[in-house]
Amino acid sequence: MKAAVKTNFRGMRALVVLGNDSNRLALASVLGKLGLDVQLHDPHDAGVQTALEKCDVVLLDADVNLEVLSEPNALPDVPCIALIGTETPSQLARVVRQGCISHILKPVRSSGVFTALLLAVNEHEKRQKIAREMAVLRQRLAGRREVTAAILKLMMADGIDQDAAYERLRVEAMNRRMPIEELAREYLACDARAQGGGRRPRIKADDTAKKLSTNRRLRQ
Amino acid sequence: MKATLEIGIVVSTSGSYGEIGQAICAGAELAIAEVNADSRAKVSLRPVVMDPGGVPASYADAAKDLLTGSGLTQVLGCYTSSSRKEVLPLFEKYDALLWYPSHYEGFETSDNVIYTGAAPNQHVVPLARHLLDNHGNRGWFVGSNYVWAWENNRILRESLTEVGGTILGERYFPVGETDFSALVEQIVQDRPDFVFNTLIGESCYEFLRLLRAEAVASGFDQPRRLPVASCSLSEAELPLIGDAAAGHLSSSVYFSTVDSPENARFTAQWDGRYSHLGRACADGEAAYIAVHLLAMAVEKAGSTGLSEVREAARGLRFAAPQGLVTVDPDNLHCSMRPRIGRSTADGTFEILCEESSPVRPDPYLVWASAKQKDGRLGPDHLRSVS
Repeated sequence: MKAAVKTNFRGMRALVVLGNDSNRLALASVLGKLGLDVQLHDPHDAGVQTALEKCDVVLLDADVNLEVLSEPNALPDVPCIALIGTETPSQLARVVRQGCISHILKPVRSSGVFTALLLAVNEHEKRQKIAREMAVLRQRLAGRREVTAAILKLMMADGIDQDAAYERLRVEAMNRRMPIEELAREYLACDARAQGGGRRPRIKADDTAKKLSTNRRLRQ
Repeated sequence: MKATLEIGIVVSTSGSYGEIGQAICAGAELAIAEVNADSRAKVSLRPVVMDPGGVPASYADAAKDLLTGSGLTQVLGCYTSSSRKEVLPLFEKYDALLWYPSHYEGFETSDNVIYTGAAPNQHVVPLARHLLDNHGNRGWFVGSNYVWAWENNRILRESLTEVGGTILGERYFPVGETDFSALVEQIVQDRPDFVFNTLIGESCYEFLRLLRAEAVASGFDQPRRLPVASCSLSEAELPLIGDAAAGHLSSSVYFSTVDSPENARFTAQWDGRYSHLGRACADGEAAYIAVHLLAMAVEKAGSTGLSEVREAARGLRFAAPQGLVTVDPDNLHCSMRPRIGRSTADGTFEILCEESSPVRPDPYLVWASAKQKDGRLGPDHLRSVS
């Protein structure tokens, strides 16, 4: 199902890092009307760092080069909106490095703020989802060698083909509700310990597990 | 000695929505006449009228003429959102004030605009709630293909899906389209609980006529069993629909049938001078309010300077025909009382329910939702008046 686009930002904590000028005034006013809790900070305020940890969206002056904020991972994992006055490549490169996903041009007008916020929040959500999926895939990829090794071991131990070996691993992993990579690792470790002891591998040789759904297994 | 302030009026009294433009002008004229006749008033108003003929690009030319050529700072004007978007940058650039006399779909605020018509939480959201509470949650959406219809349908769609309702059909047509015979057949066959109508102008009138005819042919009571609801149908349009004008729901902060001494005075004057435009309507009343608020702001500021007038306008209260109207100091929209009316054969609306008190404007719909009863701003105290 497609996730709904978020259009209401009531109660979100916005951190505005911008000098005290008419832009900041205009910005704070619109953000307030949109129902956000706004916190204003001058870029050179000592409190910026702590404030960064307690916000849900950052609006950052792109015309001030803040060393602390240019470090990798200096900004928290929240949507970041650049406030842009000068469009020079050097400044815009910094905007890219800081991971800003939306922007507002100066002078700040009341129109445009809602759009920038909506794009930033929704795009950030999408990115977070992708990052989570990527972490899962990375984990899978990292376990690929063990899965291959486990399949080979099973094939040799029980004289079955690779499909049957994989299927046995998959079913067992499902029944025990664990990732197949983890099961493979466990199987290999157990097998290593068992070497010389003649112990049977923990993977069931018969295919009873295959016929049973995970729910039926709970009732056994 | 009274100071004279020139007020620009940029309204399309000709073109595809000329009737509404004429009603806006009528409301403004009535208020200007009242202000100028008031011997205690410290300002008299002189209108400078422009007719962009319903062409969006002409609005910018007209506004530029008034703001730079004539050096005006106060303009009443625009009906459609597209025309307002066209002139808004000019009002910001030359720092002037636009008094916008129409309800609209929201999602805008500007320090250069005072909005005297309903914001979406004052007409769209109350209508969604009324439909869900009284008619059911199976809707058919029909609209003209532009922002007004899209946004209103989005609000209603979200309200419906929130309570597990369904949308049986959703169709958009070009402005001016009148070929709806297949559509009405489909709708009558689907038998939704209601039709939500965001068609405008002639499309709207023809759709209402055809749907009524189809229902009569199928032998059922369309107003009762398949009501058509909209947020824009007004008294100015009822005479244009003909026989099928009665029995449609409309959500508005003003109907000519509001019972108040202010409205009795207003409608008496309207009927005396503008009966050819139909009965008094929401857009005419919004223009009337705008002009009065401007005169009051000038009076309060003791100056015709722009920033003084704007500051004076914040929080201003006016006993309007619809009841007490207050300019929200924060977003420059107005607190108003949502009402739901049902059209009658004599060109008016019977008021079915209304808020017990004015509702604060919420142009970005931050607080209001049709389902959630939000004590602060949501239109949660609709009561029956019959």
